[in-house]
Amino acid sequence: MPGASNGRQNEARDGAVVRLDHVAKTYRIGAVAVRAVRGVSLSIAPRRFTMLIGPSGSGKTTLLNLIGCIDAPTTGTVTIAGQNVAKLSDNALSDFRARRVGFIFQNFSLIPVLTAYENVEYPLLLTGVSAQKRRQATLEMLEAVGLKDQRGQRPNELSGGQKQRVAIARALVKRPDIVLADEPTANLDSETGASVIALMRRMQTESHTTFIFASHDPHLISHADDTFTIRDGEIVASGAAA
Amino acid sequence: MIFKIAFRSIFRNTRRSMTTMLTIAIGTAATLVFGAYTVYVTYGLQTGTVDRVGHLTVYRNGYFDFGSGNPAIWGIPHYEAVLKLITTDPQLKPLIAVATPVQYLTGIASNSDNGESRTFIGTGFIPSDRDRMKHWDEYDVGGRGDDTGLRDDDSSRGIVGEGMARVLGLCGQLRLGNCPKLPTGAPSDTAAASDVANLPKQDFSDLVSRDAPATRKGPSLPRIDLLAATAGGAPNVVDLEIARADPQGVRELDDIYVGMHLNLAQQLVYGRGEHRATGIILQLHRTEDMPRVRARLAQLFKQHGLDLETRDFAEITPFYTQALNLFRSIFSFISIIIGIVVVFTVSNAMGMSVVERTDEIGTTRALGVRRSGIRSQFLVEGILLGAMGATAGVAIAFLVSYAINQQGITWTPPGQAQPVPLKLYMFGAWDMIGTIWALLIVLAAAAALLPANRAARLQIVDALRHV
Repeated sequence: MPGASNGRQNEARDGAVVRLDHVAKTYRIGAVAVRAVRGVSLSIAPRRFTMLIGPSGSGKTTLLNLIGCIDAPTTGTVTIAGQNVAKLSDNALSDFRARRVGFIFQNFSLIPVLTAYENVEYPLLLTGVSAQKRRQATLEMLEAVGLKDQRGQRPNELSGGQKQRVAIARALVKRPDIVLADEPTANLDSETGASVIALMRRMQTESHTTFIFASHDPHLISHADDTFTIRDGEIVASGAAA
Repeated sequence: MIFKIAFRSIFRNTRRSMTTMLTIAIGTAATLVFGAYTVYVTYGLQTGTVDRVGHLTVYRNGYFDFGSGNPAIWGIPHYEAVLKLITTDPQLKPLIAVATPVQYLTGIASNSDNGESRTFIGTGFIPSDRDRMKHWDEYDVGGRGDDTGLRDDDSSRGIVGEGMARVLGLCGQLRLGNCPKLPTGAPSDTAAASDVANLPKQDFSDLVSRDAPATRKGPSLPRIDLLAATAGGAPNVVDLEIARADPQGVRELDDIYVGMHLNLAQQLVYGRGEHRATGIILQLHRTEDMPRVRARLAQLFKQHGLDLETRDFAEITPFYTQALNLFRSIFSFISIIIGIVVVFTVSNAMGMSVVERTDEIGTTRALGVRRSGIRSQFLVEGILLGAMGATAGVAIAFLVSYAINQQGITWTPPGQAQPVPLKLYMFGAWDMIGTIWALLIVLAAAAALLPANRAARLQIVDALRHV
C-alpha cells in the first residue's frame, strides 16, 4: 500500500524508496507566485509500478522533478533511497542521478547525434563502466526492448514508439533504483502507447526496479501497482491496484 | 563520447558550421599570408642591411655616439693588427664570412668640367670584400645588387649614388637613362663650384698628388675631385674616376654617396700619416651567431686592452628596426582584427547551438552530466571548430603562398634600390604557423566559453521545458 497524506498526515513506510515530507514547490512567474506542489508527503515502496494521476497542471511533473532530483523543493524534505537529497551539492546530485535515477521523457529526449546504441550506452559512460560491460549491457537492453537490429540508427530514423523504447532502454541500462516517466505515452498513438506501457511494465517486473510515471490518462490505472491522484498540487487520493 | 558528440553536433547545422569554419579558415589564411610576407620582409631587410653593413662593426669606443661628424679623428690605430686578432681567433674564425676594414669620410665632391659640386658622405672599402659581402644570402632572398665593379689593385676608381651623378652632371658620361634634364633658367652656383674646383691648386702641405689622366689606359671615365679635411684638420683633395653610378635606395643617401677604394679614402683622410680605419665590418655566416661573436669580441678587446666597441646592424641602421616594427605593428593590427572577427563568429555560432540544444542540455544534465561536463562539451565543440577552421586556413595559406611564389612577381623593398622577387615564406616559418594555428584555436575556445557557461548554468527543469 502506498502512503500518502497532505500536510501533516504522513504515513510513509519504512523501507520506502521515495519519501516526501511536507514538500512544497512554489514558482515565481514574474511577480506571481505559483504553488505547484502544496505540502505533499508520500512514500513509494520499492519495486512497484507507481502512477501519479492528475489533469494537466495538477503538479505531477513538478512532483516527478522533485523525486528525480532535477528540481529542489521550496520547503520539505525529499529522501530517495535513504538519501536526503537536499544535503547534496550540485555535483553530488548529478552523480546521484547518474547512478540511481532513470528518466523517460514525454518527448523521448534522445541525443539526436548519437545512434540508438550510443544513446543507451551513454548513462554507462557517465558511471565509468568498463567498455566490455558497457557493450554487453547495452546490447542486452536493446534486445530486451526489441531494437537490437536498429542499434545503428539515429533517433530521426526511428519511429515514435522505437524512440520511446530506446529511452526506456537508456533509463534501465544502468539498473537504477527508480525510473521516472513523465507522460511517456503522450506523444504516441494509443496502440503504440499501450505497447510502450506494456514494455515498461515487463521491464519493471524483470528488473525489479521502481517505476514512477505520471499520466493524465485514467485508462492506464489498470497497469499500476499503486496510484496517487494529484489535483492542484495536492494528493487527493492514493491506493493500490486491485 | 564528448568528442563524438561535439564532432557530430558541429555538422548538425552544416551551413552554420561551415560558415564559421570558413571565417576561421580565411582569417587564419589571411594572417598567415601576411605573416609569411612579414617574415619575407624581415629576411629581405636583414639581407639588404647585412649585405651593406655586415652583422657587426668594430669601432673605436665612442665613435658611434660622437664620431660620425669627424670620422677621421676616430680611426682605429693599427687596425690591421686588430683585424688579424679577430680573424685568427679560433672561436671567431669559423663564424665569420667576411672581416674587412672600412673608412668613412665626409667632404665636398666637385666636377671640374662643369663646376658642379656638393657635399658627400664617402665610404672607403676593399672592393673584393664588399663584393663578397653582397653575396650573403642566408635566407635565400635572392635578387641582390650587382658587384661594385671595382678592383682591389686599382684605387683610383669609385662609384657614386645616382643622385650624386645627377647633381654633378655625370648622367651623360655614365649613360644613366633616367636622369631628368636641368630646367632652363635654373639657378646656377658656378661661382661657388669654381671656388671648390680651384682648391686643389692651393698649396696645402698634406695634399696628395693627383692621378695623371694621361697615364691611364682604357675608355675614359668621368672624374670628380673629392675634398676633405684630414685628421690633422688640413684640407686634402683626391681625384676619383667614376666607374658607375649605383642607386642607393634612400634618396638622401643616393644624392650624397661616394664609394671608393679603402686606400684612396685613407689617402684623403690621413694623407701621408698613419692610415687608420673607421671600423672593421664583420659579416657572419649566420645571424644567430651575432650575440656569441659580440661577446667574444668584448672578451678579446678586454684581454688585449683595446679601447673598442662593437655595434650590430640594427643599431647602425635604425631604419631596419623601424621598418620591421612598422610591418610587425601592421601584422599585429591585422591579427587583432581577425581575432575579433573569429571570436564573434564562434561565439555567435556556439550561442545559437546552445539555444537550439537547450532540451538536450536538460536531458544530459538529468541523466547525470555535471555542469562542468556541459561546459566541457561546448568548449570542445568550440575547440574543434577552431581546429578544423585553422587547419583549413593553414592549407589555404600554403596554396596561396605557393601560387604567389610561382608568379615571379618582383618588388623593391623599402630602403633598397634593386627589385627583388616577392616570396611568401611559409615553408620554414613553422613557429609562426604553429603559433597562429594554436592562437586561433585558443580564441575559438575563449569565444565558446561564454555560451558554454550559459549552457552549464541552465536549470534542468527550465531546459527540459524549452521548446
